[in-house]
Amino acid sequence: MKKKLLSALLSVAMVASLLVGCGAKTEAPAATEEATTEAPAEEAAPAEDVTISVAAIETAYGADMWAKVAEAFTAETGIKVELTTDKNLEDVIGPSMQGGEYPDVIHLATGREAALTEQFIKGNLIADITDVLSMTVPGEDAVVSDKIAGGFTDTSLTNPYGDGKTYLAPMFYSPCGLFYNAGLLEEKGWAVPTTWDEMWELGDKAAAEGIALFTYPTTGYFDAFLYALMYSVGGPEFFNAATNYEEGIWDTAEAKTCFDIIAKLATYTNPITPAQANDQDFTQNQQLVLDNKAIFMPNGTWIVGEMAEAPRAEGFKWGMTALPAVTAGGAGYSYTWFEQAWIPSGAENIDAAKQFVAFLYSDVACEIFAAAGAIQPVLGIADKLEGDNVMFYSIYDNGAKAAMGNFAAYESVAGLGSVREVFLDPVNSLVEGNMTQEAWVESIKEASDLMRANLK
Amino acid sequence: MKKSGSRNAFLTICIAPATILFFIFMIVPTFNVFRMSLFEKGAYSPKETFVGLNNFKVLLQDTNFIRSMQNMILLIVIVTIFTFVFAIVFAAILTREKIKGQNVFRIIFYIPNILSIVVISGIFSAIYKPENGMLNSIIGIFKDMSSPILWKGEKLVMVSIIIAMIWQAIGYYMVMYMASMSAVSESLYESAGLDGATKFQQFFMITIPLIWTNIRTTLTFYIISNINMAFLFVKSMTSGGPNGASEVALNYMYAQKDNGLYGYSMAVGVVIFLFSFALSAIVNKVTEREPLEF
Repeated sequence: MKKKLLSALLSVAMVASLLVGCGAKTEAPAATEEATTEAPAEEAAPAEDVTISVAAIETAYGADMWAKVAEAFTAETGIKVELTTDKNLEDVIGPSMQGGEYPDVIHLATGREAALTEQFIKGNLIADITDVLSMTVPGEDAVVSDKIAGGFTDTSLTNPYGDGKTYLAPMFYSPCGLFYNAGLLEEKGWAVPTTWDEMWELGDKAAAEGIALFTYPTTGYFDAFLYALMYSVGGPEFFNAATNYEEGIWDTAEAKTCFDIIAKLATYTNPITPAQANDQDFTQNQQLVLDNKAIFMPNGTWIVGEMAEAPRAEGFKWGMTALPAVTAGGAGYSYTWFEQAWIPSGAENIDAAKQFVAFLYSDVACEIFAAAGAIQPVLGIADKLEGDNVMFYSIYDNGAKAAMGNFAAYESVAGLGSVREVFLDPVNSLVEGNMTQEAWVESIKEASDLMRANLK
Repeated sequence: MKKSGSRNAFLTICIAPATILFFIFMIVPTFNVFRMSLFEKGAYSPKETFVGLNNFKVLLQDTNFIRSMQNMILLIVIVTIFTFVFAIVFAAILTREKIKGQNVFRIIFYIPNILSIVVISGIFSAIYKPENGMLNSIIGIFKDMSSPILWKGEKLVMVSIIIAMIWQAIGYYMVMYMASMSAVSESLYESAGLDGATKFQQFFMITIPLIWTNIRTTLTFYIISNINMAFLFVKSMTSGGPNGASEVALNYMYAQKDNGLYGYSMAVGVVIFLFSFALSAIVNKVTEREPLEF
């Protein structure tokens, strides 16, 4: 009797659970149906059912801001966004792009080791987005070109072919310069050098106290340094000639000054720097500045966030200065580093992608980015700055001139290294003393001839 | 007749999946590597131009490539010799001698093999740190370290990678040698012992000859795995730096793809392919002996 009761109970329980299971199943589709019927109603008219895929590199600013911007964009235009963010974006989107499947918008700057953006530039695989500049920003009345700060769409970084057409949209800018521990200089009573001669003096003083004058995270950080140096030595004319590999440019007095300064700086560099100047250990070089083992390092404003968790010397305070002038009274330059967003010409939804690029300059997007520390190159952004950024971004108000641009793109040639390999990597050898300045300059000249011959 | 026909059909069906997969995923890509090495093409651009053997011509004059090959050969030779000696000695000790905690040693030696290369690289990067790194701290006890040794600097970086690679490889080969050593009959050692052979004589006259086929196989393994491991270690420890001092051929091939020279990087691939094939064949030929039976 008891057994029967038990089995009856059990079977009831089984049937009940089955019903519950069915119930849940039948309920679920209803809910999704509702959701799908609701969504288009909200979306208003334009571009229904378009989904663009956006791939963005995750840097020191984090990935959250991209999710928020994508959400805001969908809310504004109804275009759905499929977002991919990764620290090694090249490895994530590279393989499918080799298979011919492209994201619609890619946010990935030049100058990275995998040089994916450079390859797209060299291969003419980027869509012309000149017309985006005259588009109105979604949700606003303003035209894109009215919002972007002056100069940002005239550089070789955005117009790589020099034909007046814009292919890459300028994103998050950051003044680059020499970062240092302002607390240390105050404590020692050392002034921030304004000329290279003062720099060397400071170097000797610091060396007497066992502090190196200089360090660098990796040789890659010398690009902004070299650009600013070329500007401060020879002005825009020299910079343009040099970045276009003009014949004989490396034999000029200006070039020699640049090489001399870097070679001399190498002797003032903390000797352990090259052993840590790789993509795995570079933060340890940055740590040298935090620990008062080196005074200056070339870097960008993201350094504050990147090293936020790192231990530091007592009284540490971030400071940033432009590159010193070559002669007393000369101009100090700070390179304006900025990232780029672009549309691969193989993308499926180019029109929707262009709307997304335009939206990146909207007030909404700029605020989301700024909250994460990423500063869009738009007019009036100065009001949105907070904390250390106020000081960093005011560098140009304090007398430093802005340097922009980069080495001109050249057709890849077998056996010819990248700009970084030719110009910057040997700095490691200079610091370790395994290479002479002459050998370095000689290899630059040789490579420069080849680069000129293969200019795009 | 009919029976064997259906048997053949059955065999064909059984073998077909493996053959087809092997063809698609091994033969075709290999063939493609050779074909692409004759073209010039960006990694992402659909346009390809035929350049014949030009890629190989340039390769022979490319000092960076020559350096990367030199580094690779250095790694193959040095790492193989040291790993071989350590692995076989440890294996002999662990199989032939009665040591307390034998199994513990076995596990300890094998652990590096379970760890991923990235983890090992992280461990060794910490050991090699110029300041507060384990190695420099230990040396600092005995000598003044005001200018620390730069283990990952230009002069020592290859040595550092070699040490990490040997440490990683010993366990794996040790286990392989132990397996074949324990198959050697105990009676041989006993009778040799009665004849007055020392442990060393036993090792060289009994153990080595009897596991010779195994040694030959592992030599081929050394060549292939060192080429691959060198890439993994360099990629995760130094990225080929400083200033290309630790560049190895596979990493160079990878970097050339990033430079937008897909065909050129495939040419590097072809050279590595032929090199490892040829080297394995030579080693195999040179070490050929009459197989000993016991």
